[in-house]
Amino acid sequence: MAQRDSSRTTEASPRLPGSEGTHSDDGVDLTLIRWMLSLTPAERLQVLQQSVKSLLRLRDGDAKS
Amino acid sequence: METPRVDYVAILETLIRHGVDFIIVGGVCAVLHGAPLATFDLDIVHSREPDNLTRLSAALEELGALYRVPGRHELKPGPSHLASEGHQLLMTRFGPLDLLGTIGKGRDYNQLLQETVEMQVGPALKVRVSTLESLIKTKEETGQEKDRAALPLLRRVLEERAKA
Repeated sequence: MAQRDSSRTTEASPRLPGSEGTHSDDGVDLTLIRWMLSLTPAERLQVLQQSVKSLLRLRDGDAKS
Repeated sequence: METPRVDYVAILETLIRHGVDFIIVGGVCAVLHGAPLATFDLDIVHSREPDNLTRLSAALEELGALYRVPGRHELKPGPSHLASEGHQLLMTRFGPLDLLGTIGKGRDYNQLLQETVEMQVGPALKVRVSTLESLIKTKEETGQEKDRAALPLLRRVLEERAKA
């Protein structure tokens, strides 16, 4: 019975099983928000700075393999 | 090709060291409130009081700030630019910096001040940041597509923060 219910849920929604609560109805990844909220503002700024540096390095093709 | 240096902390430290009164808005503000996004420029709304503009000019000089608008690459922002309501899109030696005289429906530093919080973003670095509610309000006011696109994420951050 539980399996049938689970199957119906999967058919009715594009979400993968077990992904309930990971995304909002409008598709926002809530896990990333919760991770960011677990950090201090200083740590969030460092994450941003590292992300931008990484993206620029990838764009410029000088990423270390 | 050498990757440009992007260091928001260095820009903020320079502004603070010069005693500039400003409020962080835009993408960096969103990140400081917990939004998982990447942004390439630091947006600030600065006080346009004459004394603050003098301090801001000194900070910009130290940052080597020049316009990044085509045709104005060699131009430094002058006092009249900094005193205007407009947006000065600059490149500094630590990355892009946008100085905004007003945002949304013409809200300036003094009007925004009551909708800000102070955040510690480094061992000796405390900055004033627009509240998340105010940031959402500004993006709703501007009505531009890029601002509307950011709203679902910002609203979910607000919700998740309330639950935490």
